[in-house]
Amino acid sequence: MEEQNSAALLSHEQLVVLVAKNKDKEAFKTLFYHFAPRLKSYLLNFKIGNQKAEELAQEVMMILWQKAEKFDAEKAKLSTWLFRVARNKFIDHSRRQKYATVNAEDHMKEMVAPERTDEPFEAQERSTLIIEAMKKLSTDQRTVIELSFFKELSHSEIAAETGLPLGTVKSRIRMAFQVLRNELGELR
Amino acid sequence: MTPHGIITDEWIVSYASGALSEAHALVVASHCHYHPELQQKVLDAEAIGGGLMENTQPAEISDDLFEDLMSKLDGVPANDEPALQDSKLPAPLAEYLDKPLDELKWKMMGPGLSQVRLWTGPNDERLWLLRAKGGAKVPAHDHNGLEMTLVLQGSYRVGEAQFTPGLMEIADDDTRNHCPEIDHGEDCICLVVTEAPIKIHSLIGRLVQPFIGL
Repeated sequence: MEEQNSAALLSHEQLVVLVAKNKDKEAFKTLFYHFAPRLKSYLLNFKIGNQKAEELAQEVMMILWQKAEKFDAEKAKLSTWLFRVARNKFIDHSRRQKYATVNAEDHMKEMVAPERTDEPFEAQERSTLIIEAMKKLSTDQRTVIELSFFKELSHSEIAAETGLPLGTVKSRIRMAFQVLRNELGELR
Repeated sequence: MTPHGIITDEWIVSYASGALSEAHALVVASHCHYHPELQQKVLDAEAIGGGLMENTQPAEISDDLFEDLMSKLDGVPANDEPALQDSKLPAPLAEYLDKPLDELKWKMMGPGLSQVRLWTGPNDERLWLLRAKGGAKVPAHDHNGLEMTLVLQGSYRVGEAQFTPGLMEIADDDTRNHCPEIDHGEDCICLVVTEAPIKIHSLIGRLVQPFIGL
């Protein structure tokens, strides 16, 4: 990786490496302008004020700056890592709770070896795969996934919101997850 | 639950989305610590969250947000993760407790049984540790709502089913006369979350229940 490409031509994961190794501010700026508006948008789903959403998005990006060297592109995509940090930050802020972390960098055990085909997707294609995968869900399945991720509703809260029996909510989430995992499988 | 003692996927999705309470998240995360295939599933579910986040319509951000962040970066040391206190415990639990099990305040709750209450949430949700001597019997009880039990040490049986370290038992309203028997040998220690006080059958049990706090 000796060529000095302009930051815009590098993948997000390559930019993180530059941040980790050189504290490269240009690389970080590119990441910031891509992710901060999206993190804020995700956080605004939870009915927090504009300013708070911006503050939390900024804090998430600060953690990326500080812990960039702990990010391992072999184990997770950058959007996954940032999502996890944003989720935990929001819960910490809204419920004054610490959300236990499964895949924290320092407790990663050996993961099931991912079936990796080398660079099968362009970065752009890769990041929109989830949209295609969501289209494969039935409307009912999409609803339970959206209520989970965009409203953070528990199984019983989803049951109350939709009027469905609890067992149906659980089985729909299971089915939806199976469909999404199949569709996104190539990413792993 | 299939396979035996392993949590089903709807819990993985709700954990990853951030929908679980503090207690349920801790029990699920600790359970996953024992099972690499569950960690992979969590990662997949978090990748769904990451994908959905990345594809939201970007919000407007303040013009000076980036410069403001850069000005804060100087002089802010990254806070290092604390060293884990008890390596025998799953990492999420060790981090949560921040001290070894022996240093917790265990309260007797019956012959061979003691407990530590860790957290009480809204709607009487409770997170606690249960320690039972080998051979002990937990008094027969019914449940109001969901009970999750993660075995940390030792083992117990409910009928034919045996629960060993890392395995999770889920009992709910339909689980009547729940009467776990601890296997002989070392103490059995479990991390438990109940959604409402359990209903103990025996008169003595019901009399002491308010004092032991279950």
